[in-house]
Amino acid sequence: MSNHIDGSRNSCALHGALLVIEAIDGAVPVIHSNAGCGFHYFLGLNRLNAGGDAFGGPPVSSSNISEKHVVFGGSSRLREQLKNTIKVVEADLYFIVSGCSTEMVGDDIPAMTKEGREQDFPVIYANTPGFRGDVHQGYQIAAKALVEQLPELLREKRPRAQGVVNLWGIIPHQDPFWAGNLEQIGRLMEGIGLKPNLLLGYGQDLDGWHRVPDAELNIVVSIWGETTAALLEERYGTPAITLGGLPVGAAAGRMLRAVSDKLGLEAERTERFIQAEESRLNRHLGAFADTYYRAGFQRDFALVGESAQVVGLSEFLTYTLGMVPRTLVITDNPSGEAKSTLHSSLSALVEGWGAELFFDEDHAAISALVRSGGAGLVLGSALEEAVADELGVPFLQVSFPLSGRVVLNRGYAGYQGATALLEDLGSLILSHALNVEVSSPASLCRTETVYHS
Amino acid sequence: MSEKRGKHIAIYGKGGIGKSTTTSNISAALAEAGYRVIQIGCDPKSDSTTILRGGNDLPTVLDTLREQSRVRIEDISAIGFGGVLCIEAGGPVPGVGCAGRGINAAIELLQELKVFEEYKPDFVLYDVLGDVVCGGFAVPIRDGIADRAFVVTSSDFMAIFAANNLFKAINKYAPSGGARLGGVIANSIQHPYSQPLIDDFAVQADVPVIGYVPRSITVAQSELFGKTVIEALPESEQAGVYRNLARHIDENLDSVIPKPLNGPELKKWARTWGDRILAVETGVVQKMESI
Repeated sequence: MSNHIDGSRNSCALHGALLVIEAIDGAVPVIHSNAGCGFHYFLGLNRLNAGGDAFGGPPVSSSNISEKHVVFGGSSRLREQLKNTIKVVEADLYFIVSGCSTEMVGDDIPAMTKEGREQDFPVIYANTPGFRGDVHQGYQIAAKALVEQLPELLREKRPRAQGVVNLWGIIPHQDPFWAGNLEQIGRLMEGIGLKPNLLLGYGQDLDGWHRVPDAELNIVVSIWGETTAALLEERYGTPAITLGGLPVGAAAGRMLRAVSDKLGLEAERTERFIQAEESRLNRHLGAFADTYYRAGFQRDFALVGESAQVVGLSEFLTYTLGMVPRTLVITDNPSGEAKSTLHSSLSALVEGWGAELFFDEDHAAISALVRSGGAGLVLGSALEEAVADELGVPFLQVSFPLSGRVVLNRGYAGYQGATALLEDLGSLILSHALNVEVSSPASLCRTETVYHS
Repeated sequence: MSEKRGKHIAIYGKGGIGKSTTTSNISAALAEAGYRVIQIGCDPKSDSTTILRGGNDLPTVLDTLREQSRVRIEDISAIGFGGVLCIEAGGPVPGVGCAGRGINAAIELLQELKVFEEYKPDFVLYDVLGDVVCGGFAVPIRDGIADRAFVVTSSDFMAIFAANNLFKAINKYAPSGGARLGGVIANSIQHPYSQPLIDDFAVQADVPVIGYVPRSITVAQSELFGKTVIEALPESEQAGVYRNLARHIDENLDSVIPKPLNGPELKKWARTWGDRILAVETGVVQKMESI
């Protein structure tokens, strides 16, 4: 039996591809679909998460096909749209992405791409109808198209870069802290002498994507980076390291040691860097200790987010901050195989602390899980705010979609990310405790009653 | 509305089976009997109504829709033999676009143009191409369009296969208000086994056969003149066959929900006939009833 999904946080494959393209400097998407696809993307994703990409949102190029293109084929409309886009916007790459209607009809998008290339324009394409999957599959399809087709656009051989590591699996905006997280992981790689290839975000252009085959290692942050890493291993023999989640705090040290081992880097240098980073984080934790005990910081928590966030944040919250995991909900629809991997990587939390792990993307179902779990702190998306209010507990927005919270460069990955999370949580819990004290005359009344009796 | 609407009939069958010829002759016979008839060709080949119109060109609904934003009934229809209003839905060139969606769009436009309200037909015949390969080709038998569907088949296995597919589609849509099956029209009857084979298939699928159209030179002759048999050779025996079919469609409103055979059943059934046909072709002498 099919179920409806209430308030899904996972948009379609086309949108996943657009998130990738818009996060690459100099890349311009050309949507081949009906009009609503591009606008829905803006309403559903960009506007909720600040947006701010160079080319995207409502003015995105789209063939806006109508019924006659469905009946008679829309390839010529795409040809015209590509031509017009090239006239209006100068770009390093024109990236055609398709929607459901044009894929159902079977428009010959590769032929239009070829036509563009024959006229010396840098054009690639990806088939991204929504029925191929959600935003995560869209990310994978776009990354695959870039890896496979960009080498065809390259005219001259480039010198091979040394010490490059590619980062995969962080989906722009679907992880609201994507830019900061990428930068934090990049900073750590630099710390042990590597050249991180972030690929997406500020200052990331096609040059980085052309360097992808040069990399010595692919670092896979979430399950959504695995197919790209597998493709690169197959094509270029590049090895990969799978993190299975955001490296927050101590997990960053494990990541650095694994990378260092794999690439045979100087272990001493790696350890020096880890120590410096750790001691700074420890300093912050020490400075926070007094507040921690005064505010009764330790409590049960419910965490709702994508697999990489749930794995990364819950580990830090539990092992470093001493919180108690109660309800963990993973919302990014992992495959059966990925689910069992996630089960085993979270088994220590589940078995040791009696936490419950769920896979769900239905708003109402997730709220019910959080409600019945009864945590003293809720971390999730804006959609979980209501249930946190019901429980009367502090609530921190950490996953998509955000609302009423601006995130530009904040990240929770790495050691500095751990400090940022500590700051956010600390402020939240302190202000919540203060609000309850001031705005709860009921508790004062109760005290009086006790006094009189 | 329903009394003005007239009887809407969809005629299906494998391509090249003589579907358009049969439909056009039924339209002509109905028109000859004094009814107002619309025949709508639902096929990108757009040659359903050719022999009703003396072979003249007729712009298709979809071509017209593509070229002009405002379409009038006059632009997309022609009056053929006996006043039959001829319309061709048209469609994309082979290998491009979506013909199924085309049928959908064309029928929507005809409804928007109020063709049926204005022309007030007694009969509307939809001549639908080939096999029911996807949802678009099932549009005429969905709720609110045709009331009854007929399938034209010869004794070729592929034609039977296509007929069985139509039965599957009717089986799916009829319970939710879609068309039911009026019956099977057996066409191109020329071998001794043709009629018993189609009869046997009809028994298997629990559907009636409403007429047998023998293969006849008069049909080919008339088509070469760009005419239906009813128009070109009204006194011929073949014309009588088509008139009988038209009369059946007019007078007998019975309809059924067929019981299509599944893949293995259909193959098994075909194999039994393969043996019998081989016996006929190789000259095994046996009684007629056993065939």
